[in-house]
Amino acid sequence: MQFFEPSEHPVKNKSFAARNLRASDAFTMLFFIRKLLFVRKLLLGLLLLGYVLAASGQTRVTVSGYIRDQSNGEALIGATLYVKELQTGAAANEYGFYSLTIAPGSYTMVFSYVGYLTQTQSTELIQNQRLDVQLVPEAEELEEVIVEAEGQPTARNFEMSTNKLDIKTISKVPTLLGEVDVFRSLLLLPGVSTVGEGASGFNVRGGSVGQNLVLLDEAPVYNSSHLFGFFSVFNPDAVKDTKLYKGAIPSRYGGRLASLLDIRMKEGNSKEFEANGGIGTIFSRLAIEAPIVKDKASFIVAGRRSYIDVLGRPFVPLLQEGGALNFYDLTAKANYNLNERNRLYASGYFGRDKFLFDANQGFSWGNTTGSLRWNHLFNDRLFSNFTLIYSNYNYKLQFGEDNRNRFNWDSSISNLIAKPEFTYFINSRNELNFGGELINYTFEPANAVGITNGESVDISLPRKYNLEGALYIANRQQVGNNLELEYGLRFSHFRALGSGVQYTYNDTIPGRRRSVVDSESFASGETMSTYQNWEPRFAFKYQVNPHTSVKGSYNRMVQYLHLISNTTASNPLDVWTPTSNNIKPELGDQFTFGVFKNVGPKRTYEVSIEAYYRTTQNQIDYIDGADLLINQFLEGDLLSGRGRAYGLETYFQKKTGKVTGWISYTMGRTEMQVAGINRGAWYPTRFDQLHNLKVVGFYEINKRWSASANFVLTSGTPTTFPTSRFLQQGILIPFNANDSRNNLRLPAYHRLDISFRLEGKTVRNNGKVRKNRDHWVFAVYNVYSRRNPFSIYFSQRDERVSAGQPIDTQATQLAIIGSLVPSVSYNFNF
Amino acid sequence: MQTITKTVLYLMLLALGTACETIIEPELEDAAPVLVVDAWLTNQEKAQEIILTQTQPYFENELPVGVTGAGVTVRGRQSGRLFSFVESGNGIYRWTPAANDSLGPVGEQFDLTIQWQGQTYTASARTGRVPKLDSISYFFEEETAISVEQWVGEFWARDPVGKGDTYWIRTWKNGVLLNKPAELTVAFDAGFSEGGNLDGVTFITPVRRGMNPIEQNEDDEFLPAYAPGDSAYVEIRSISKEAFNFLNEVIIQTDRPGGFSELFARPIANVSTNITNSNPQGPRAVGFFNVSAVSGAGKRLMP
Repeated sequence: MQFFEPSEHPVKNKSFAARNLRASDAFTMLFFIRKLLFVRKLLLGLLLLGYVLAASGQTRVTVSGYIRDQSNGEALIGATLYVKELQTGAAANEYGFYSLTIAPGSYTMVFSYVGYLTQTQSTELIQNQRLDVQLVPEAEELEEVIVEAEGQPTARNFEMSTNKLDIKTISKVPTLLGEVDVFRSLLLLPGVSTVGEGASGFNVRGGSVGQNLVLLDEAPVYNSSHLFGFFSVFNPDAVKDTKLYKGAIPSRYGGRLASLLDIRMKEGNSKEFEANGGIGTIFSRLAIEAPIVKDKASFIVAGRRSYIDVLGRPFVPLLQEGGALNFYDLTAKANYNLNERNRLYASGYFGRDKFLFDANQGFSWGNTTGSLRWNHLFNDRLFSNFTLIYSNYNYKLQFGEDNRNRFNWDSSISNLIAKPEFTYFINSRNELNFGGELINYTFEPANAVGITNGESVDISLPRKYNLEGALYIANRQQVGNNLELEYGLRFSHFRALGSGVQYTYNDTIPGRRRSVVDSESFASGETMSTYQNWEPRFAFKYQVNPHTSVKGSYNRMVQYLHLISNTTASNPLDVWTPTSNNIKPELGDQFTFGVFKNVGPKRTYEVSIEAYYRTTQNQIDYIDGADLLINQFLEGDLLSGRGRAYGLETYFQKKTGKVTGWISYTMGRTEMQVAGINRGAWYPTRFDQLHNLKVVGFYEINKRWSASANFVLTSGTPTTFPTSRFLQQGILIPFNANDSRNNLRLPAYHRLDISFRLEGKTVRNNGKVRKNRDHWVFAVYNVYSRRNPFSIYFSQRDERVSAGQPIDTQATQLAIIGSLVPSVSYNFNF
Repeated sequence: MQTITKTVLYLMLLALGTACETIIEPELEDAAPVLVVDAWLTNQEKAQEIILTQTQPYFENELPVGVTGAGVTVRGRQSGRLFSFVESGNGIYRWTPAANDSLGPVGEQFDLTIQWQGQTYTASARTGRVPKLDSISYFFEEETAISVEQWVGEFWARDPVGKGDTYWIRTWKNGVLLNKPAELTVAFDAGFSEGGNLDGVTFITPVRRGMNPIEQNEDDEFLPAYAPGDSAYVEIRSISKEAFNFLNEVIIQTDRPGGFSELFARPIANVSTNITNSNPQGPRAVGFFNVSAVSGAGKRLMP
């Protein structure tokens, strides 16, 4: 296989070493083009196969088009077309496009989507036909709250290990401080957990926070939290659809081990002007959407800002003297429908958290992303999307009260991504996806200048440059009437580029920091190290009967970026670092198997049981005393080990009626084994949770009032307690004589939240219908004031102890949220 | 890092209100005691003490019991001299030099040997150089968001050119050693860490101000660092790189101000040791052996 020919590796081959990064990019592009040529051959073969398959029957025709919301023109992701006569169908993709190739004939076509009126259409299909459909939303009263763990039984949408949350559901879940939040809702799904309030990010099936790929309109978001994890950076007014893949991750995605969170933004109302907004305890928000050219082009702009600093300014001198305490974000998107075959999208996000202590001192962080997309239909069956993405995450710190003594530090990760993707709808039984991805990374671990007594010292660390590329091909196939398969392969490639210095460290002696034994310098554009991996993906669904299906999957994931964090909770100062000669790519293999069933007289209850087992290699841990910030020799402080995570997720959902909701219970384990930690034995990671129970309920009291509640009960997070103590020069040091890691657990976590929603009047007192809609949300977080422990820490008492006196020790249990948190918010739409 | 964390935490407090803390008494695992070696020596011309004790259960709030009957020696490799430390009660083993004598000059490599209960424990340390402590100054600081109106002390010294000097800053305020975990200050060259690359310059501000006590009253309000009439004596001790790493680990493990800082805290892990049992299968020991060169200066605050 030519992929592995050593001559293709430019490592140490000076003739290939371009003089600058741009030349090297070009080279790598060439490298990928060659790979593409290979893949093209492969593709041609498959296309030929598809053609043969197609040709073996009679003549075929294609019906294709977009499925949209009639009220605002938004694409309906996952809406389905079902052809009654053939008992086959198709589902709309992320852009609302579907395509189905079948024999000519006269058919009854059923278009449906949750929360919309089903539309049935009789069509005489003689030749290829474009059929764009607009579905009408169901009336408010009939609206169902659905977390779709499974597509319609008739649909081609057969992903497993995924959870889809539509924004209507997200907005009904009880909130913290009145803010509708994507992450708060995610945490109520099976297999998703957190180590506690105030921790950034979330954990999926025992994966770390850095093992989740979070995409906002395809752009990776490197830190998805505001205010240290209390709120997510996604403005609910601009979010259309949220899909979490916990397993069976499609071949088109890669780069993280545990999960993919795919967030799609609204396109903006293409029919009429619409404004949404709200005033809450923390944020005020406003979103405006409108057509630019009716039914052809539209935009949405949504902004939020916290205003505790505005309210607090009269009382807090710090805020009057240039200090700041706020977080804000701006989300915008526009789309333009050039013609039937071409559509353009531009979307962007900018958000920042600012904690300024005075005008010159403080801490801030934020993400910036932008994506440009072009949907192009080559023909009725070949759909393509070309995406260009920019994403940046950075944080800044500055300290020092005068110019003779200052410290300024910033750090960033930024990338440019080009992503061509194709879907070829071969026939009603095969759908081929193929494409690639090329990512250019620039890491700035630290730009730091310290000025001490007037002398300036630049302690910046050199930038790191990396390229990641991937090619993928996958086919979704229907075999017989009951079996569906998806099989694919992803090839990923990662290289570190100069200029830079590559260090070699001595071998790990358990418990000791490693030292540099050798270093090698590389010129700009030279390849410093390369890695490549094949990532097979496979999933199946077997429909046992119309209401029962069995699904299974295997996938290998490779992660070339590592989130470096050794604090108890992930926080904004965590740095991303690339794979290098010292840090190997993390590899994960996950198997899943599940049974899904609709039960009840009207089949309105959904039950599922799903098991997963994942092993990981080269997972990162830290040498005790590791120094992770502005450390040139960071890689010498990292350890690598094996991980394993396994569990069983059970899920029960009631989809219709006055009372709806779900119960999710996950039993799981996640462990690591690293030489030098826990005597080399397996130990639970900090996000190991044996039990994780969530109960979510929604109740329609009457036309204006509705209520919701959720209850969460999880095992306490593992933690390490000392056994003993000893003194060094009068300082009391805790000691674990058994060298254990995470040997004990915090008390269990449980919490109840409730929320009431009051719809504003729809009819004025004088009988006229109000044009504007509004609602109030009254919520209480942590209703019974449970002080859920975030950590237990051990320390000597704070008093100064005179020499010769014994020192008192104590253990302190800390709850980040120690009482109930009530809130009110007012939301409007016009 | 401490200033950063403190500031951020203060701002979080503003944003969210207070976190909630409870003192608890959790059940801990049982563990057999191990030998503790507290051997931080200097090359000053005065008596040197090594303290040998055993680890105690974490919540046993009593003085540790001294180890008796141990044989303790230190050997200077270049001088070839053997210093015998004589047991003098409560686990203290002491060497008292003759007039104008010390363990040895900067650059000397010392080997510690402890014989106890049939085991031989050893450790080795080299005495590094130490810069002259030029002066101490005080300045008056108005009340800020995180501190009260106070006099702040600052010591002035310049790290010598050449990477890899490591120091421990020790301060006595009115004759009392400041050694609460929050007051521990160590330096790598003129900064805080090797990666900092701050070589051959004046110690950076947070190191210079490491001489200030950190004290709170019962209402958790900070007390002024210094007041007119107070005196301070600051010592710079050279320490080995291993000892620098050790003390950094000690800071991580012992300085736990609690509250929102727990979001940034690291899990409990054992600090390192440079004491090894020559029998790898034998019982281990904890603690550290280091021989410092010392420079120091004092000043009374007389505005």
